[in-house]
Amino acid sequence: MLTVCMSSFTQGYETLESEYRSNGSLMHGLLERPKQSLFEFSAVIYSGREEIAYGIVVEETGYVISKASEVIEADDLKMRIGATQYEPVQIVATDSAWDVCLLKTKATGLKVAHFADDSQVDQGTWVVTNGATTRRERWPQLGIISANAREIRAEGGAVLGIEINEGKSGLEIGEVPEKSGAYRAGLRKGDKIIKIADKKISKRDDVADIMKDRRVGEKISVVYLRNGKQVRVEVELMGRADTFGAQQSRNDTMSGDYSKRRSGFPRVLQHDVQGNRVTVGGPLLDLEGRCIGMNIARANRAESFAIPLEELRDVISRLLTQAMQNKADATDAPR
Amino acid sequence: MKTRALVFFLGLLSVAFAQDPQRDPKRLPVNDKKVPAGVEDMLAIEAALKSVLPPARNATVCLELGQGSGSGVIISADGLILTAAHVSGGVAKDITAILADGRKVKCESLGLNSETDSAMVKILDKGPFPFVELDKSDFTRLGDWVFSLGHSGGYDKDRGAGVRLGRLVKVADSTLQSDCTLIGGDSGGPLFDLAGRLIGIHSRVGQRLGENMHVPIREFVRHWDDLAAGKFIGEGPFAEKPKKGTGFLGIGTEDSGEGKIRVTKIGRESPAENAGIKVGDFIVAIDGKKLKDKEAMQKYLKDKAADEKITILLLREGKDKEIILRLGAR
Repeated sequence: MLTVCMSSFTQGYETLESEYRSNGSLMHGLLERPKQSLFEFSAVIYSGREEIAYGIVVEETGYVISKASEVIEADDLKMRIGATQYEPVQIVATDSAWDVCLLKTKATGLKVAHFADDSQVDQGTWVVTNGATTRRERWPQLGIISANAREIRAEGGAVLGIEINEGKSGLEIGEVPEKSGAYRAGLRKGDKIIKIADKKISKRDDVADIMKDRRVGEKISVVYLRNGKQVRVEVELMGRADTFGAQQSRNDTMSGDYSKRRSGFPRVLQHDVQGNRVTVGGPLLDLEGRCIGMNIARANRAESFAIPLEELRDVISRLLTQAMQNKADATDAPR
Repeated sequence: MKTRALVFFLGLLSVAFAQDPQRDPKRLPVNDKKVPAGVEDMLAIEAALKSVLPPARNATVCLELGQGSGSGVIISADGLILTAAHVSGGVAKDITAILADGRKVKCESLGLNSETDSAMVKILDKGPFPFVELDKSDFTRLGDWVFSLGHSGGYDKDRGAGVRLGRLVKVADSTLQSDCTLIGGDSGGPLFDLAGRLIGIHSRVGQRLGENMHVPIREFVRHWDDLAAGKFIGEGPFAEKPKKGTGFLGIGTEDSGEGKIRVTKIGRESPAENAGIKVGDFIVAIDGKKLKDKEAMQKYLKDKAADEKITILLLREGKDKEIILRLGAR
């Protein structure tokens, strides 16, 4: 105590050494159980040699969930679970509403995530997520539940992903970004829109009315006219900012490397763990090392989001069912 | 031998008197450890945080003015708010506070210290309001576990004010630094100890996540009376002093004998017109200062800046009338 006081008088301030800070090595030393969990059932996802995200093991036969938007465009996917590296890795199913994808690699006897009973955690409760990775160790990052669990509406609303021009002969589609739901459904520049969600469309305001209060991941039917033929497709909605891009706000510029997709989630837990864009996709753990959710977005400097356990269970079972279905379809298909 | 022991004891006591954290009856034992000894200590921190969080959150407000917003914290039942100088931006400004439950109340800024980034704001609506206790005894020490609240990025009722937990990592005379991450909108918000006492006000951040700066409460205590009296302290950099001579009222006057100043012209859309001053009114006093002639009035107004508030005492049809208005920009 005395030395600290002395130094404060001579230097004008006192500083806490880094190992004593809230995410210093001495605090991490108290997190043996979460560290063990990260090592056993959280995967590190690589594109080639670059670490791009984390994941959670959901089936012992090599199924792992991760953050879709960080993984989906990457090539040469690899995973590390425990001390073992696995490759190749395939994306076998995707849930775009929650931005979760299911990865598969050839493995047996993996340890599946140890889930807690529920995610009913009060604000102020300690939580742990993935930190840095070394060959032998997984570093944890410590934080707390920091706000009400809630829906995060898509930045700028949910959109089809088309520009619409009002012409003499009706509504014509302008630019369609390649990553939009509209592009994936087959809509192209020059197509004429006849109906959206089974309603006839004659002006741009009609579209705005239909799109109001829609959610990311929702599917909406679009009837369009091309070369004299009417075609009906189902378009999956995405967030406006995720489709058309968004300008960086002042808060964004002070936030460092945040997640590309950080809005449009049906319900999240908010926590204050100091991660970055890469440390997302793994489990949100309690001090016992039990999984209470999936760390899904680094929103900004002060806010991170996790999918609550209850919703996560549904997402996992849907993705596994979808993967089995896809596999069955592939087997049935004539060669 | 006995004498030496006694000297040592006295020496220790005098240091203890100035610095010993044990004197704080509400101090959490884990704060006296350099690092928690185990999960039990971590759970003690969590339990303390959870017990003081609801009242702390109820007193944390979002302050809206002009285009931006910041945060603040209520420290008395009648609605005195502490915030940052770069949030209130000046003296006698109109501000809207949004309480934790979403209720909006009218406020006016009092004084500020532009050198340390401290400021006071007063709620004008009638209380009582939820408030927090200050760490007036300055019990806070380096390494203490602390938490921050604030309306990051603006008020969001579904979210509420976000809470972040960390330690005091640097303590200087007029700045505290913690590893509770702050972002725009948190400015002016409260930093608490684990007894729920207000120990600082959020001011600014550095490049790194661990660099979050707060103004200690002792800095407010030091200038309390001046802040409460609406004084603008210091020369910046956190607030810019209004420039004298930029204020604009928008009236033409003449001395009409009998020591009276008569209004002869009113500028269209001027602050005077908007406040309801009319041709034929006599100006008696401004801000309680009696004015004997046009020259005295002009001299007084010359020291005023744009956006400053003044109180004009008029004589209209033989009756006193008081008008409060904000000067425009010349």
